[in-house]
Amino acid sequence: MKEKIKLFLDTDLLEKYLLGATTDLETLQVERYIAMYPEVRKTYNELQENLEEFAKSYAVKAPEGLKEQILSRVKAQNSTRRKFMSYAVAASVVALLFASASYFFYNQNLNLQEENSMVTNQIKLLEADMKERLEDVRNQFIVLNNPDTKQYKLKGNKKAKDLKAVAYVNPVKKLSYINVQNLPHLEEGQYLQMWAEVNGKMLNLGILKDAGSKDNLLAIPYSEDAVGYITIENEGSNETPTVENIVANITF
Amino acid sequence: MSALLENHIVELLHERNEKAISLLYENYSDTLYGVAYKVVKDEMLAQDVLQESFVKIWKKADSYDPSKAKLFTWLFRITRNTAIDKLRSSKTKTDKEIQLDVSDVYKVGIEGLNPDFIDMRENLLKIDSKYKIVLEALFFDGMTQQEASEELDIPLGTIKSRLKIGLRELRKIYIEPVVLLFLLTLIA
Repeated sequence: MKEKIKLFLDTDLLEKYLLGATTDLETLQVERYIAMYPEVRKTYNELQENLEEFAKSYAVKAPEGLKEQILSRVKAQNSTRRKFMSYAVAASVVALLFASASYFFYNQNLNLQEENSMVTNQIKLLEADMKERLEDVRNQFIVLNNPDTKQYKLKGNKKAKDLKAVAYVNPVKKLSYINVQNLPHLEEGQYLQMWAEVNGKMLNLGILKDAGSKDNLLAIPYSEDAVGYITIENEGSNETPTVENIVANITF
Repeated sequence: MSALLENHIVELLHERNEKAISLLYENYSDTLYGVAYKVVKDEMLAQDVLQESFVKIWKKADSYDPSKAKLFTWLFRITRNTAIDKLRSSKTKTDKEIQLDVSDVYKVGIEGLNPDFIDMRENLLKIDSKYKIVLEALFFDGMTQQEASEELDIPLGTIKSRLKIGLRELRKIYIEPVVLLFLLTLIA
């Protein structure tokens, strides 16, 4: 170890370091030796003291007025530093604003994109819906306009005087529709249900709802010699019609 | 320089208090100006060097680490390196060999001689000139030991030993009487 220190001290690294003439790598090495070995540290401190004494022996009175020049330069340096700092602060604020604006617009753009795709989807759905409805209407028109189609007018019995419905039946195309014009006033919990008797079996054709059903044709499964019924039923699914509550029937 | 004052200046430097520069100037300007002059050998250039050095000292104040170097060592490094750079960039570089051979401290800034340092100069003269030449070449002329060996035509080993002995001689001369002298000047 002693040998290592001696070898180190024999190089001029410590002197070069003293003068600030070492490379970065050498600086690291010298600083490590100074930190690790008291002997090197002691030599370094002696060198520093000697340097100061040696340099002092060359002291020359600095010219008058130089101090003022230096102080004003340092002050100017400080104010440019302060100016720089305030510019830096301003720049940071601008950068921050820009960043938040970017974020805001980015977000907005994202939202708009989302909205756009939603609207596009909705338009597609509407289009599909429209096509479907148009197709329906076309089919209904074909049926209604067919010379083979017969029209049956239905009226409710005394239990449902207000019931008015028209049924369209086309035996050639084997299609039948019913159009409910007016529903009777029913008590709460009651509704009108359609049935069809096909080959001796009662088929549930669904509930007649007043809302929107006025202009709609309800498709009814076609069967020769079928009889259709409309009954008043109580709430809860009914698999079989309540015979005493029949308000209208159609024989196709 | 008392350790107390040195610590105070370092504190002010780290606080970026301009008073630090004022105190540094009061305590070190003559020595640093002498160093700058010794390197550039021109009064105007030396003044420029001192100004630039103080601006650098102020700019680098945050990076000064007292555990790595004494305050003076740090100031010296900055001033010396600024002076050497200045000398290199100014094309007035004079013939180094002649300057080395005739280097005579009394030629330096005669008009600005500081009586406080005359005793020290006399002491310095007591060092054998063979040591002085080596020290000056290394400290003020920015030479490496290798370069000094070539310039002065002295073997590298001799340069190394003269540097070490020269510094030791300095120590012998200065440590006892000069410290006392300095303390007296400071008190006065």
